[in-house]
Amino acid sequence: MTEALAPIGTVLTRSDASAKVQGCEKYAADYYPQGMLWAGVKRSAYAHAKILRIETSKAVEVTGVAAVLTSGDIRGSNRVGVPEMDQPVLADDKVRCKGDPVVLVLAENKKALELALEKIEIDYEVLPAVFDPREALKPDAPLLYEQRPGKNLLLSGTLERGNGAASLKDCKFVVEGRFKLPWQEHAYLETEAGVAGINSEGILEITASTQTPFRDRNELSHALGLPADKIRVTAPYLGGAFGGKDGITVQGLLGLGAMHSGDRPVKMWTSREESFLSSTKRHPAELHYRLGCTQDGILLAMTCEVVLDTGAYAALGGAVLAMVLEHAAGVYRIPNVFIEGFCVYTNNSVASAFRGFGAPQGLAGIEQMIDLLADEAGIDALKFRLKNAVNRGDTTGSGVLMSNSTGIISCLKKVQRHPLWINRQDWVNNAPAFKKRGVGTAAGMQGTGYGPVILDIANAKTELLPDGRFRIYSGVADMGQGNNPTNIHIAGEILNQAPKDFELLQPDTGSCLPSGSSSASRTTFSFGNALIGACKNLKERILTRACNLMMGAYFENLLLARGKVLDMTSGREISLQAIASSMTEQERISIFSYIAPAAKHPESVNSEIRFLGFPHRIFSFACHLALVEIDELSGEIEVCDYLACTDAGRILNPQIYEQQIHGGIVQGMGYVLWEDFRIHNGDVLCRNLATYILPTAVDIPDLQSLAVETEETGPFGMKGVGEIGINLPYPAISNAVAQALGRRIYEGPLTAERVLKCLNSNPTGGKSED
Amino acid sequence: MKNVFLPNSIEEFRQIWSAVPDAVLMAGGTDLLVSLREGKTKVKNIISLERISELRHIDCSGGEILIGSLVTHQQILDAPIIAEALPVLRQAASLLGSPAVRHMGTIGGNICTASPAADLLPALYLLDARLELHTERTKRTVPITDFIIGPRQTSLSEGEFLYRIRVPIPVPNTRAYYFKVGQRKALAITIASMAALLRLDTDMTVLEGRFSWGSVGPTVLRFPETEKILQNQKLSEPLLKEIGEKSARLTEPISDIQASADYRRMLVSNFPLRLLQAEKYTGSNGKK
Ligand SMILES: Cc1cc2nc3c(=O)[nH]c(=O)nc-3n(C[C@H](O)[C@H](O)[C@H](O)COP(=O)(O)OP(=O)(O)OC[C@H]3O[C@@H](n4cnc5c(N)ncnc54)[C@H](O)[C@@H]3O)c2cc1C
Repeated sequence: MTEALAPIGTVLTRSDASAKVQGCEKYAADYYPQGMLWAGVKRSAYAHAKILRIETSKAVEVTGVAAVLTSGDIRGSNRVGVPEMDQPVLADDKVRCKGDPVVLVLAENKKALELALEKIEIDYEVLPAVFDPREALKPDAPLLYEQRPGKNLLLSGTLERGNGAASLKDCKFVVEGRFKLPWQEHAYLETEAGVAGINSEGILEITASTQTPFRDRNELSHALGLPADKIRVTAPYLGGAFGGKDGITVQGLLGLGAMHSGDRPVKMWTSREESFLSSTKRHPAELHYRLGCTQDGILLAMTCEVVLDTGAYAALGGAVLAMVLEHAAGVYRIPNVFIEGFCVYTNNSVASAFRGFGAPQGLAGIEQMIDLLADEAGIDALKFRLKNAVNRGDTTGSGVLMSNSTGIISCLKKVQRHPLWINRQDWVNNAPAFKKRGVGTAAGMQGTGYGPVILDIANAKTELLPDGRFRIYSGVADMGQGNNPTNIHIAGEILNQAPKDFELLQPDTGSCLPSGSSSASRTTFSFGNALIGACKNLKERILTRACNLMMGAYFENLLLARGKVLDMTSGREISLQAIASSMTEQERISIFSYIAPAAKHPESVNSEIRFLGFPHRIFSFACHLALVEIDELSGEIEVCDYLACTDAGRILNPQIYEQQIHGGIVQGMGYVLWEDFRIHNGDVLCRNLATYILPTAVDIPDLQSLAVETEETGPFGMKGVGEIGINLPYPAISNAVAQALGRRIYEGPLTAERVLKCLNSNPTGGKSED
Repeated sequence: MKNVFLPNSIEEFRQIWSAVPDAVLMAGGTDLLVSLREGKTKVKNIISLERISELRHIDCSGGEILIGSLVTHQQILDAPIIAEALPVLRQAASLLGSPAVRHMGTIGGNICTASPAADLLPALYLLDARLELHTERTKRTVPITDFIIGPRQTSLSEGEFLYRIRVPIPVPNTRAYYFKVGQRKALAITIASMAALLRLDTDMTVLEGRFSWGSVGPTVLRFPETEKILQNQKLSEPLLKEIGEKSARLTEPISDIQASADYRRMLVSNFPLRLLQAEKYTGSNGKK
């Protein structure tokens, strides 16, 4: 039977599909090692408190309890986090938010574990706490870190271009807007999970649901006081992550547990409630904008102030701030700009990476401002965007040079030519009784990779196996988005082999090579490029060896075919197995390092912001169109149609591409319409999936996705597609709702209650049409 | 350790229950298991009724539909007799939970949980449903309004269980509707709901109008005084608005994580207008 090859650009059925739909794929949560103990933690009951005394004796006595551990049992620094190492594995001097882990318990079963956790007594001295980032910046605010020179300010940044705010007075039209964006919870299917044990060679082995196995190893080494070569982290398929597993979740606790378990493996797996309490969220943001343009609608000046609440620990908050600043002026040429941002510690839950990584917040701001201004200037919102959008070679309002492929204008034009846009007025006019309709657009981009300072490096490793098949050693975790099948697709194309001819080893710090995180729309871009390099080297080595073995053959006449090398001039063949058997192990393995291009243009921002990623070089772009219908009797919003035109470079696999766009849009719709993760005075009010409202299949319309395929330097011309889709539902739907209501709701999400209250407070808005 | 008993018949069930009188009954478990997981309910013994087929029947007799307490929401959706005689109950079941929940959850569980937000209750209040309650020795039939006495409180006495629900079939030419607002379209706890029954003359004069309100008070509410406003009046927007506004003033909603009391009142004010929408629709298209 011939196995069809799957050329790049065509649908290749995902190699992970079958096992996943049959339920036999083994996620970190599915590991139950022989003789294991359950690990669980006692979490802080206070948002801010000094730990005076921890009494564990009653817990130790519970039958089935193997160990009760506190920060005193940790040999290392007891701090994790990048770049700021400020988060304890177990709280030592104090707790800084509800849910902070304080005591770790290992037990034979969950019953004993729960009982022991109940029996732990902790005496606290409750400290004044701060829950509002603006309050936290005041001089007399309670301090989370008494010693920090910046006090509660984690990081601030300023971007100034042209005459800054002064140019607002030269504008014909100026609009102002203050936006309040909510927390968002990742709500992945698989909550934080993993297992750990010390193997016979004394190596701490951790299998965890993580986007960052290599970075985890370094952080764990620091926090637990073990040399990095005594730690091995493996990352099986993740049951979702979206940024919420970009860094340590349970790994530190697992490592600590395994070091005190009497050589027994330990397992930890958070419940949904515990996950909601302890996991990171998308940063809630407050944005204050002024935006002005000329008589003809040419953008002239912008000011923007951003305040992000990063919660009790830094996590990736600084880098998220850098991304918000970079995306706060969107895809437009704005010559005079003043942008200022603050990322602030509070005693709330920790905010960190979440798909889009700050871009959704920045774009939610600027794209609503663009609609406000276009309205004020009396110009059609799409025409307004087209007038001001960047071409390659232009610089955005934030000062980012568009040095690489820039398809935003094509995306905008594709929407402009679409029947949904052309016929929009008819559709709006035909709203049934008690309904209001509106149409909104939004445009934006997504920076790829780590920015100008921190190198974005991927190291790929491939092997020709003795049986003539191939192995890919993946350095990047697959959270469900399909990196692994894509890597097989790419390697298959270069080596001209069928998907079945490959096995893929998932990230394992013991045998794979560090390749950075699965994040930042860079995973396929960077690892894929490294993999192409490794495969090309291997191919050359195979063909060269074939010349050695087939006397009289010449390199340029040889064809690498499925399972064999063919001499096109003579028709002679040699199997890959024969070639492999003539090679040493060293020869069969090929390694290639790839460094992604970084922005070179001069800095326009403080060095910390630059260090944390500003600016990017490669961007994906998109323009979205939303058609919404509002029920005047309930305020419920129905998204009736949705179109995304995306420039994420060339498409490797149309199916995975579309899945990313669709998934991003749905998660973005959740962000703007339903997902109201409420935290009040440090208390998580959304305890579970009954109160945190994620969209269901019936809440989402059919989504249309069109591609603008510019050529970029990722594998086969691609750019990252994992995040761009989530960036625009917030502003596109907000703009559509504003059009329907005749006024704008500035605080998200746009729940039915907010909409109805808005309608009822509007003297004309509450009336029905007839 | 919890014991779970699985009787195969009513007789077996009665025997087990008299042997373990402290046992909690479980139908589909979609309320009970959630509350056990949250530690809100502590139980030692559980009697699961799922194998008692006698409780799973839907019958029609003497102008009434008889629905066994173990009938699932999906059965309500699938039964032709319900679609024909009690379409409003079917409509309510179609808005409850998700396919998985509708296959597990039962009408008896929905009633006995006695949540003001339970989706079948407004329709059952509207239709004047009566409940057959059995103990080992006694049988009684009570109106649903007497059965549910507060949020999550029923008048079930010890050893008593819900055997069957009796729903009078409405007279011909009545139309009934159920409208619900939740935080999303499926798997949504009801923020507020309204079931309404209208009997109209050909010229849209209201011969009879009934309204019941969900999730805006300790139990499902009906306001007979307000209902009278409609009598012999022509169905109109101002009239329906009046009903809504008057009813809203009589409701006693709470604020919770789903919604504020204010919003619940606003919904009550507006709900009756949906009837206009629905009636117009029927008028112009002749379908539904
Ligand atoms: C995800 C999810 C979504 C949901 N969505 C909705 C929704 O949209 N609308 C809605 O109304 N409800 C909803 N529910 C709640 C629940 O599904 C319904 O109330 C369902 O009808 C309960 O029926 P059950 O058979 O599962 O009850 P069970 O959980 O088995 O029982 C509930 C209670 O009733 C008692 N009981 C059950 N049967 C009897 C009997 N015959 N005699 C005496 N006592 C009895 C039990 O002891 C228990 O106290 C949802 C639940 C979940 C988990």
